[in-house]
Amino acid sequence: MTDTDCQRFIPLKTHWFHIMLSLAGGEQHGYGIMQEVLNRTTGKVRLWPATLYGSIKRLIEAELIEESDERPAPELDDARRRYYRLTKLGRCVLDAECERLQELVRTIRVKQAMVTE
Amino acid sequence: MNFAWMLYRRLAEAFPHEFKLVYGRDVMQLGEDVVEDIAKRHGAVGLIRLIADIAIRVLLEYLSEMRRDMRYAWRGLIKSPGFALVGVISMGLGMGLTTVVYNSKWQVISRDLPAAANARRLVMPEKPVSYYYIEQYRDQKGLFTGVAAFQTGIPFNVTFHADGNARPERVFGQLVSADYFSVLGVQPQRGRMLSPGLDKPGDAPVVVISDRFWRNRLNSSSDAVGQTLRLNGQPATIVGITPKNFNGALSLNPSELFVPITAPAALAPELGNDVVHQRNAKEFLAMICLAPGVTTDSAEAALDAITRHLDERDPSAPVRADQSRRVTLLSAGSMVPLPRELKRVVVGFYVALMGLIMIIACMNLANMLLARGANRRREWAIRLAVGASRFRLVRQMMSEGILLSLLGGIAGFALAYFISMLAAQFMLPTAVPMESDYTLDWSAAVFVFALAVVSGIAFSLAPALRATKGDMTPALKEGSALRLPGYLRFGLRNLLMVSQVTGLLMLLLITGFLVMGISQVSSIQTKFDPHTMYLLSIDPVRDGYVPEKAEALFEKLPEQLKAVGAVRSVALAAQAPFAIKDEDGTIQLTAEDSRGASRVQISAVEETVGAGYFAALSEPMLAGREFVEPDQRTSADGSKTLPVVLNESASRGFFGNGVAIGGRLRDDQQSYQVVGVVHDLRNGIGISQSVIYLPLTQRNFMRPPADGMTIMVRSDAGTDVLSGIRREIAFLDPNLTIFNMRTLSEHLELSRSAERFAVNTYGGIGVFGLVLAAIGLAGVTSYAVAQRRKEIGVRMALGARKGQVLGLVLREGAALVSAGTVLGLLGAFGAAKLLSAMTNILVDAFKVGTADPRLLVGAPLLLATLAMLACYLPARRAAQIDPLTAIREE
Repeated sequence: MTDTDCQRFIPLKTHWFHIMLSLAGGEQHGYGIMQEVLNRTTGKVRLWPATLYGSIKRLIEAELIEESDERPAPELDDARRRYYRLTKLGRCVLDAECERLQELVRTIRVKQAMVTE
Repeated sequence: MNFAWMLYRRLAEAFPHEFKLVYGRDVMQLGEDVVEDIAKRHGAVGLIRLIADIAIRVLLEYLSEMRRDMRYAWRGLIKSPGFALVGVISMGLGMGLTTVVYNSKWQVISRDLPAAANARRLVMPEKPVSYYYIEQYRDQKGLFTGVAAFQTGIPFNVTFHADGNARPERVFGQLVSADYFSVLGVQPQRGRMLSPGLDKPGDAPVVVISDRFWRNRLNSSSDAVGQTLRLNGQPATIVGITPKNFNGALSLNPSELFVPITAPAALAPELGNDVVHQRNAKEFLAMICLAPGVTTDSAEAALDAITRHLDERDPSAPVRADQSRRVTLLSAGSMVPLPRELKRVVVGFYVALMGLIMIIACMNLANMLLARGANRRREWAIRLAVGASRFRLVRQMMSEGILLSLLGGIAGFALAYFISMLAAQFMLPTAVPMESDYTLDWSAAVFVFALAVVSGIAFSLAPALRATKGDMTPALKEGSALRLPGYLRFGLRNLLMVSQVTGLLMLLLITGFLVMGISQVSSIQTKFDPHTMYLLSIDPVRDGYVPEKAEALFEKLPEQLKAVGAVRSVALAAQAPFAIKDEDGTIQLTAEDSRGASRVQISAVEETVGAGYFAALSEPMLAGREFVEPDQRTSADGSKTLPVVLNESASRGFFGNGVAIGGRLRDDQQSYQVVGVVHDLRNGIGISQSVIYLPLTQRNFMRPPADGMTIMVRSDAGTDVLSGIRREIAFLDPNLTIFNMRTLSEHLELSRSAERFAVNTYGGIGVFGLVLAAIGLAGVTSYAVAQRRKEIGVRMALGARKGQVLGLVLREGAALVSAGTVLGLLGAFGAAKLLSAMTNILVDAFKVGTADPRLLVGAPLLLATLAMLACYLPARRAAQIDPLTAIREE
C-alpha cells in the first residue's frame, strides 16, 4: 500500500474520522461506536443512527473498515450486533489524518502564542 | 415519543432494498436503543433531529443508488456505441424539433409583452375604431382602468439633428395617445413617458424613443433626452427612453419611435384631415387595460353594446341590421394578439404537433430498449437470483433510457439553437419590418430538460417492466432462449409497430404535402424577364412635402421617367407586385344587383395600383380595361363610385360565370364599379386569392403606405437604367429619398426565401423521419424474430421449408404494416384538414399536395417496403440457422 493510496482520503470527513478513531482500539459495533464518540467528546458529537450506518456503508465500500468475524469474549459479546474493524488501508489513512491534525494543532499553538503575547 | 418511533420505523423501511438487506435491522435496532435516551436528554428537538437524520439519509441513499445506476448506464452505453448513437440522434432530433416549435411558435403567442406591467390585463378590439369611440370607451371607469389609442407601423424619415447633411433614415414607430404608456404599465428608462397632463394639443412636438433606437442610432448617448430629431422634416424633442426590450404593443412589428397623436399633421401625415376629431375615421386601435376582476367576456359584451349604440347614433355610418358581434377582443399582452378561441386551437395544434414528433422519437427509444432488454434477460435473471429487487432492476434499465434521453436533450438543444440562428436570418419582404424573437431563453432549456426526463421515464418504463416480468428461471437455465407469452394480438410489440408505422406515415405525408404543395404553387411565372423590372420607393410626404405638392409630383413622375433611355414602361403602385398580404389587407365586399339589393358577400385582398400597372407586368386584360390617368383623380371619400379591377377568382366569387364588367360592389364606406378583369396573379408565397384592385387616388398620394409609393420601371433587357432614374428623380428634387431599390427578380427571390426555408425544413424532417423509421422498424422486428428463433428451429426440424418460415414472419409483418398504413393515411388527411382550417396560407399547398398521386402511393409504398425489409432480413437470418442448434439451445 503506497502513501498516495492513503492520501487520497485526506482530509477525512468528520463522521468518518470519529468512527475510525473509535475503531482504533479494536472491534466495535454500531451502538458501541456511537457511545464511544459521545463519551469521548463529552456529548458534543452525536452520530445519529441513520448517518452512522450510512457512513459505515461508505467506509466499507471505500475499504477503510470491514465487518469482523471475531467476536469479543462471550460475557461482553452482544449476539444481535455486527462488529466492525479497521482494515490495513484504514489504519494507514487514520494515521495520516492524525498526523495532519497534529501538524495543524502545532501551527495553531504557535499562532495562538503570537496572539496572546 | 411513540409517534416519533413509529415515524422512524416507517422511514427505516423506506430505505432502498439493498441497503435494507444489509443495514435495515441494525438501523432499526440502534434507533430502538437510543430513542428513549434522546428523548430524555434532548426532548422534542432531539426527536425531530432523529427523524430528520433518517429522512435525509433515505433520500441520500436513493440518490447514491441513482448515481450508481447512471454510471452503470453510462458504461453500458459506451460499450454499445451504435445503440447509444442511434438513441441520442433519435431523441435529439425529436427534442430539437419540439423545442423549435415550442420556442418559435408557442412562446411567441404566450410570452408577455416585455416591460409592460399590465400585460396580463391588456385586451384590444380586433378592428380599428375612430378616436371618438375610444373616448366613449374611456368613460367606462368600472370596467377599464385605461383605454389608449394607437396606430402602428408608421414610417418616419428621421434626420439626426447634429448631422445636417445626412440622408434621412426610415424608421418605424407608433402614433400613440398620451395615456398609452400608463395603460400598458411601462416605466421610462430615462426621461419621462408621455402623459395626458404634460402632452397637450398645440405643444411643441415631442417623441419617446425605444431603447433599441437609443442604443443603435444614438450610440447610447447620455444626453439623448432633450435632443431634437427631425421626423419627416419636422423637429421633435426626445423626452424619454423606453425600458430595454420594449418595442411597443404588437411587437411582431417592432416600433422605435412613439409620437403623441397631438403632434401636427406635418410631422405625421396619418394625423392629417384632423383625423382625431373625425367621428367616422376608423383609424385607431384601442388598447384596453381591464379593471381588476373584470373578465374578457364581460368586457367584450359591454364594448359590443357601447359600439352598437354609437354606430346607431352615427348618421354617416350605413345602417346595419345584423345581430352579430361587432367587437371581438384579443388578448393584447403578448407578442401576437390572438382571439381567445383561436388561441386555444393554435395552442392545441402545437401541443399535438410537438406530441407527434416526440411520440415518434420516444417509440424508437422504447423499441430499442425493448430489444436490448430481451437480450439482457439472462443478466437480469442472475441479478434477481443473487438478491437484487425487481424495482432496482427496473430503475437501472430506466436509468439507461433517461440517460439516453438527457444526452438527446443536449443534442436537441444544440439543434434547436442552430435552427433558431438560421431562422433569425430570414426577413420576409413585408412593408413594415417583422421580427420574431427566435432566441432560445432559459425557459426553452427548462422545457428540453423536463421533456427529456419525462419522456425518458415514460418510454423506458414499459420496456423495463416487460424485461423483468414473469418467471426468470428459464432465462437463467437456458441462455437467452425464452419462454414468452404466445402471440398477442394487442401485445406491446405489435402496438409499437403499428403506432410507429402510423406516426411515420403521418409525418411523411404531412411534410410531403407541404413540400410538394408549396414548391408547386410557388413558382411565380412572370410574363417577362424579372431582371428587366426595377422597383424603387419614394415617400415625398415624409420628405417634408405638403400633400398638394406630393400629388403634383406623382402626376408628372411617370412621364418624366419614361423619358429616360431604354425605359419601356412605368407604373405606380401602393405595394410591390406579387406582394404578400395578410388578413389585414382584406376587405369585406358585397355585390349588388341592378336594383341595389345585396347578392353575395366575400372578402378579397385589396391592392392599390396606378395607371398602366397591368401593361407594365405584360398582363392582358381578360375583359374591360385597366386603370387610366383620370381614374387617379377620383376622390375616395365615399361620395363617388370608384372604378375597380377584379381578378378571375374575385370575379367568379361575386358574379359566378356572369359578366362582371359594370357590376357594382360596396363595403361600408365606399361603392365600386368593376371596369376590368385580369388573370389570377400569384403572390410572393404562391397563393392565389380573390383580389380587388383599387386605383391610386389623391388619398394615397397624400398618405403613402408604410413601404412608400412603389415605382415599377420596365426596361430593355441588358440595360442598366438605374443611374438614369436616380438622375431624373434628383433632377426633380435632390432631397427626395429613394429606398427599397431592387429588381423584381431580387424581390421575388426574397419572397421565396422564407418558403424555401420551410420546404427545406419540412423536407429535412421527412428524411430524418424516414431514417428513424428504418432504425426503429429494424429494431422492433429483429427483436420479434429473435424471440421466435426456437420456434423457427422447431418448425424447420419438423420439415418446414425456408420459404414457409419466411412467409410466416412476413405475413404477420404485412398485417401490422397494413393496419399502420390505414391509420396513418386517415391521420394525415385529418391533420391536413385541421391545418387548412387553421390558416389559409396552407390551404393551396395542401390542396395540391393531397391530390398528388405520387405522394399518396409513394409514401406508404416506401414505408411498407422499408418495414417489410426490416422483417425480411432478420427472418432470413433466423431461417438460415441449423434447426438442431436452435433446438439444442433448449
